Amino acid sequence: MAIPASQRPKPFLEPEYCKGCLRCIDACPKECITEGDAINAATGLVPVNLNLDNCNGCQLCVQACPEPYGLRPQAGPVATDAHGDFDLEDPKNLFGAKETGAPVAKAQPSEEIPLPLGQPMVLKGTYASALGALLAGCRHVFGYPITPSTEGAELMAKVLPKLDGAFVQAVSEVAAINMMYGCSGAGLPCMTFTSSPGFSLMLEGISYMIGAELPGVIVNVMRGGPGLGNIAPEQADLKLMTRGLGHGNTHAIVLAPATPQEMLDLSRKAFELSFKYRNPVIIAADGYLGQMTGVVKLPATMTKPGLPEWAVWGDREHRGNLICSIFLSEPDLEAHNVKLLAKYDAMKAEAMFDTYRTGDADVLLVACNTPARMAKGAVEDLRAQGIKAGLFRPITIWPFPIEGLKPLLPQVKRLVMVEASPGQLEDELRLALSHAGLACPPITPVQRYGGILPQQTEIVAAVLKGGAR
Amino acid sequence: MSVFYEKFDRHSHGEGLKGHSTHYCPGCGHGIVHRELAESIEALGIQDRTVLVSPVGCSVFAYYYFDVGNTQAPHGRAPVVGLGHKLANPESIVISYQGDGDLASIGLAETIATAQMGLPITVIFINNAIYGMTGGQLAPTSLMGQKTATSPDGRNQNMGSPIRMAELIAQLDGPVYVERVALFDPKQRIKARKAIEKALRIQKEGRGYAFVEVLAECPTHLKKSPEDTEKWVKECMTPIFPLGVLKDKSAETEPWWDRKAPSFAPEKVLGLMGVDTEPAERHAKGFPDHFKCVDISFKLAGSGGDGAQTAALLLARTAIDEGFDATHIPSYGPESRGGTSYADVHLAKDEVLNPAAPDPHVLLAFNAPSLTKFAPQVREGGVIIYDSTIITDPGVLPAGRTVYGVPFTGIATQLQRPMVKNIVALGALQAATHLFPAESFMATLRTVLKDKAALLPLNEAAFAAGQNAVGSPVS
Repeated sequence: MAIPASQRPKPFLEPEYCKGCLRCIDACPKECITEGDAINAATGLVPVNLNLDNCNGCQLCVQACPEPYGLRPQAGPVATDAHGDFDLEDPKNLFGAKETGAPVAKAQPSEEIPLPLGQPMVLKGTYASALGALLAGCRHVFGYPITPSTEGAELMAKVLPKLDGAFVQAVSEVAAINMMYGCSGAGLPCMTFTSSPGFSLMLEGISYMIGAELPGVIVNVMRGGPGLGNIAPEQADLKLMTRGLGHGNTHAIVLAPATPQEMLDLSRKAFELSFKYRNPVIIAADGYLGQMTGVVKLPATMTKPGLPEWAVWGDREHRGNLICSIFLSEPDLEAHNVKLLAKYDAMKAEAMFDTYRTGDADVLLVACNTPARMAKGAVEDLRAQGIKAGLFRPITIWPFPIEGLKPLLPQVKRLVMVEASPGQLEDELRLALSHAGLACPPITPVQRYGGILPQQTEIVAAVLKGGAR
Repeated sequence: MSVFYEKFDRHSHGEGLKGHSTHYCPGCGHGIVHRELAESIEALGIQDRTVLVSPVGCSVFAYYYFDVGNTQAPHGRAPVVGLGHKLANPESIVISYQGDGDLASIGLAETIATAQMGLPITVIFINNAIYGMTGGQLAPTSLMGQKTATSPDGRNQNMGSPIRMAELIAQLDGPVYVERVALFDPKQRIKARKAIEKALRIQKEGRGYAFVEVLAECPTHLKKSPEDTEKWVKECMTPIFPLGVLKDKSAETEPWWDRKAPSFAPEKVLGLMGVDTEPAERHAKGFPDHFKCVDISFKLAGSGGDGAQTAALLLARTAIDEGFDATHIPSYGPESRGGTSYADVHLAKDEVLNPAAPDPHVLLAFNAPSLTKFAPQVREGGVIIYDSTIITDPGVLPAGRTVYGVPFTGIATQLQRPMVKNIVALGALQAATHLFPAESFMATLRTVLKDKAALLPLNEAAFAAGQNAVGSPVS
């Protein structure tokens, strides 16, 4: 039933919220609104004048006004004065307190569920990583096929629909990482599998995730580069992962597994760390590790994720939340960066490493991922030849586990950096030593590139040949 | 109006006038669309469920104003960020609010792919034919001849012509509703308001993806008064971007969006991953000490399709089921079929240190190039087994290795299933190396074929035939 014109709410305007665009003037069929002639002292703009004698409450001016607190219908009881003489009032008095203030959200904790005892599995690295993610409570995977990481996505595509989760093959890696931004912004654990060229494409999104403080796990099965390179294993993305996660002040914990078992264990751990710090975590694997099959034992429990208090879930409780990396004012952005830096500093407590026969080692091999296994074999060969060799294996590449290396240094005469990159791990080590104020022992590099991993025999040969820089 | 914050605390901390004013220039179309969106959200009662994705562009700060769940996306990525939210919480109502640079330029791939997927989200596309936030540059929707900061002499053929997004989106299968509306007069504004509410209702009812393109005014960068801009949109834009419904299948599309909450039942996860709860059978008395080492390495080499990788996996699995450590690394040429296919396998008493096999103890070669390439790498005292059906002339092989020629292919062909030649080869490997008892391999075959029991007899026969075919070494 139409409301009689006399009872329809008439427009109301506080002049300081009028920007003087005049769009309401055309909209008014009764010519109630005219261009203003006085500059408003508060805004420096010229608000319109209202003369509502002829106003029939048609609301067309309100619909034309681009400002939410510009022209508004007067709510509540219509003024008794049928001619509509309005006094300016505080909008709160006019509209009353808002009925639905968003409440403050509370974190719903995650749950550890005991796993039935399973036999050891025989899994390839990417599958082991996928299983680790499933056991960490991840039910949302976004990806784009790229060798040699694709099997992880394939397994998820097969399994997740049966668990009422979601696997989406995105239009690109750019889209995939941004689906993660969304899913993670809703507070859920999510991940992607990719390989070097795809990882490059994800860097923009990773920077945004770090800026907006979003968790998420990115498995980068590194392949040969630069450019399209090849699909064989390399470790030449360590620089990107440790120092180049997109623009701005960014860091993320980088985990470097060396076995299919660690692909499971560290993938699972990655989700925990990622939510603990509200920051992405990168799994740095190499092409061999992605494809390598080995024995994988299952953990005792699996995780059912909760919902963090900061999630933009799309319900009443979380309505007040915002996921965002914009801080327009410089002091705000500086404060945000200080917060992030403090977080990066706290992440140093997560540094992890492994050692092999380092007790009396004076020749210390340093390697991660599959090359660490070649190095482990080389330690045995060197020991057989009477050389006191040992292996230091960083498991976190960032933060570099310098505290683990420190106690070994007094006895070490030489470091042997074994890597499938032109010294990217060595750079991390040198930086860590430098920041810790420690002298760098002579270094013998054993490097291969282009999809070739340093072999046990060439590591042994390099150590025997001697020479360091 | 309750869908707008009572005070815009995110706008310069809500200080002064910014607590109630938008950051938009006078006469900007965004504010009108914001109002219509807010009214529509309120009319549908979905404020608590709504997640608004703010893009990059002038509406980057949409989250200043809407009292809903808010997220702010990287440039062009709003619809896929929205998709992430929709899949995380299928109950949420996701709105991707984007301008022309965001939606029709940098985010074109995301826009099209999300529309074609057709999951129920709502995309509001503000087309004002110019870049606002960066200061008046050419938009993908700028008109021919339109002068902008980056088309100072007017848009010309070298820059291509304006892209019609609503038409593009409407011809995709995914969307159920696509309409183009405008804001230049009261009638258009009412239509726009209805279209926005309809697009949201379609999502609320789970019918699918909806897209509303709004021809909006940017007086500042078009360098016109708001009134003249309205006129320009009406007279210059609408001939290129005709108004109206371009697609509407909302009535005939039944609600279909219905997703269950994910399962966290442990048995289900382990079952899907094929985890065995029963311990594997063991038949070996111990680690094969006759190799005189604690880590035995193998190279299996052939062409794609020879089954070298499957044989390698079975070998590794047999060792693991016998309680030892094992690894398998495949390496392929780029071809899906027919290229090279090599496998490195290690079995270790305790732990495989180095999983690569540059100097294997055992080589299984399926073709001549593989034999030629890898035979010289086999360690002294090692074993070489090759397919004598394929390799009729093995050439000169290194001395000090035990060499067997076994007709893998010939035997498999006799069994009428050439594809089991890798199992023949595995049988030959067992007989030639006595790595583990034959029963160890049989147990593995039974495990991996537990869901394909019909194939077991053939595989058992192939394995046995391979074993029996190992005679005295060739050299």
